[in-house]
Amino acid sequence: MSETRFTNVKQLPSVHLLGSGSPMCAGCGGLEALHQVYDILGTNTVFVNAAGCMTLLAVYPFTPFRGSWLYTAMASAPAGAQGIRDALDVLKERRGLPPEEDMQVVVLTGDGSAYGMGLSATSGAIERGLDFLYLCYDNEGYGNTGQQSSAATPHGARTATDLTGIGFHGEKKPLFDIWAAHRPPYVATVIGSEPLDLARKIEKAKAIKGPRLIIALSPCPTGWGFDPQESVAIGKLAVNTGVWPLKEYVDGKVVHTKIPRRRVPVASYLEAQGRFAHLFKPERNEAVLAEIQARVDGYWAGVEEVVAPPTPTLPQGGRG
Amino acid sequence: MKTAGRILGTAFFREGYEVQDAPRYGAERRGAPIFAFVRADKNPILERGIIRRPDLAVVADDTLAPMPSAGVLAGMDGHSLMLINSHETAETWRGRLALPGRVLVLPASAEVEVEGRAALPQVGAACAGAAARLVGVIGPDALAAAIRDELGHLGEGVVADNLGVASHAYDLLAAEAGAVTERPPQAADAWQSPDWIDLPFEGAGISAPAIHAGLTSELMQTGLWRTMRPVIDPERCNHCWWVCSTFCPDSAISVDGKGNPHIDYDHCKGCLVCLAQCPPHAIRAVPEQREQGRE
Ligand SMILES: Cc1ncc(C[n+]2csc(CCOP(=O)(O)OP(=O)(O)O)c2C)c(N)n1
Ligand code: SF4
Ligand code: SF4
Ligand code: SF4
Ligand SMILES: [Mg+2]
Repeated sequence: MSETRFTNVKQLPSVHLLGSGSPMCAGCGGLEALHQVYDILGTNTVFVNAAGCMTLLAVYPFTPFRGSWLYTAMASAPAGAQGIRDALDVLKERRGLPPEEDMQVVVLTGDGSAYGMGLSATSGAIERGLDFLYLCYDNEGYGNTGQQSSAATPHGARTATDLTGIGFHGEKKPLFDIWAAHRPPYVATVIGSEPLDLARKIEKAKAIKGPRLIIALSPCPTGWGFDPQESVAIGKLAVNTGVWPLKEYVDGKVVHTKIPRRRVPVASYLEAQGRFAHLFKPERNEAVLAEIQARVDGYWAGVEEVVAPPTPTLPQGGRG
Repeated sequence: MKTAGRILGTAFFREGYEVQDAPRYGAERRGAPIFAFVRADKNPILERGIIRRPDLAVVADDTLAPMPSAGVLAGMDGHSLMLINSHETAETWRGRLALPGRVLVLPASAEVEVEGRAALPQVGAACAGAAARLVGVIGPDALAAAIRDELGHLGEGVVADNLGVASHAYDLLAAEAGAVTERPPQAADAWQSPDWIDLPFEGAGISAPAIHAGLTSELMQTGLWRTMRPVIDPERCNHCWWVCSTFCPDSAISVDGKGNPHIDYDHCKGCLVCLAQCPPHAIRAVPEQREQGRE
């Protein structure tokens, strides 16, 4: 039995719902993911948007959406979603809003909100079982204000607040695990460069009730330092190097939806981006590169063990 | 342009001027038009805000000149000189824009003429070097030092490239040194108040923004951001699973009933993601200026 109508790339939508003419950068990976997500969610969607690049999508009187959009402070998008969900429920119960006019309430924030300022409000919303979908476009920094470091910035990336030395010293916060630890019905990672995987997950999430949370890694030409036309290529490298694992948490289990068969060395992903250029020039910083590679290898060693447990070695007879 | 403004401002400063320089961006992102302004005076500058009547306007991308929202022509009068980066002549621009003042074309080498100018390498440095010469009070040493000040953190190679381009433009405009002059001070009685509109206080039901229609963003012509234009070769397109349309971040490629992709040039920002991803390489890029010239 197939649980999705998307089994083949040919089934992906060829007509798009998100309007053109938005003020996002040329080649924005976040916008690419959003337009794919919107195609699957459909027009009965209301967006609740915390401050960030995507706030600029709907600058009065312009909007690329076909329906409503609400702007909230950085820390409070899930609270805004609660208000809208409650209002829709009241309309359903007291004013007879027909089910086909009900809406998906979607929180749309950057990583600055999702990994940091808005985490507390999200935690509360999951706790309350709020029926909403959280879409975090993760460009690994405070993009709208000039790419300062956020809790999603990866180790070794240079940002506007980590201009020197190896760049950001910290580690990217494991938001997927933090969200999953709340035991919501659905958590997933996606990326615009893997549209079929994305479509399946959004379709699955759409059919579930309760808190559903999606993180889309969003290659950002402006903040990461690459030519806009490389946006999708960099996304594919993020997946094929194993830096961005595509996975979902459903029914209490984490399942990897795409396991790179032979992982490309992480250096080829890093080298393609200006924010990591200092790890290669004037000379390669082998120590930091090895450290980053080892962390990725360590992650996948854990995954591969679960996916394909090593065949138990049978005691060999006749020894000694 | 922001960096060009900073280089020019720093060069003025090194020549002993009081300086203000600031970039101005709209809400839009990388690729969208921006401008920067520089104000310099031997005396303390009391004026604030953007320059309403420029002595010199430098246009790095000539596709912006006819675009009202870019505001290139704002405040240009008989005293204002326009320096424009274009492969067309100064006379053409003067006529086309009906400018009362002088127009000069940013000089560049022959191979650049052919390939389109918006993609000119270090165009900012060329503009800064040319402007430094036109104002007539900035020497080559101050210009070079300003480039070091502003670009030094990017490494010697970047400094050398920009210095080369800026000095070249500076040298080529030797005959125009001092072409830009300070306009005579404006008498108080000639001051005109801006065209402000008074908005009375209104209740939230009236004044709070509500948009009652979807997709209004399509009124914004983001196609004007483009410097390179993707062109689909219908012979080569094998009607794959509309890779170009799926990956285009800007919903600028639609697919018709027969599976043929069409690019909406009013909104395509020219990121060239489609070109990079098209499996049979059916999309090529051509300089926008050349295409516009043809149309
Ligand atoms: C409480 C608060 N602090 C700071 C800001 C300023 N601010 C606006 S957008 C932004 C960056 C948000 O980063 P992220 O959520 O990652 O979104 P991105 O800009 O990367 O799209 C910041 C810091 C704000 N609006 N509210
Ligand atoms: S800064 Fe990055 S995330 Fe923000 S609009 Fe530009 S490309 Fe997109
Ligand atoms: S260059 Fe291609 S991918 Fe980029 S906006 Fe234009 S049509 Fe879309
Ligand atoms: S990606 Fe290339 S082959 Fe596929 S539809 Fe677009 S132009 Fe045609
Ligand atoms: Mg961000």
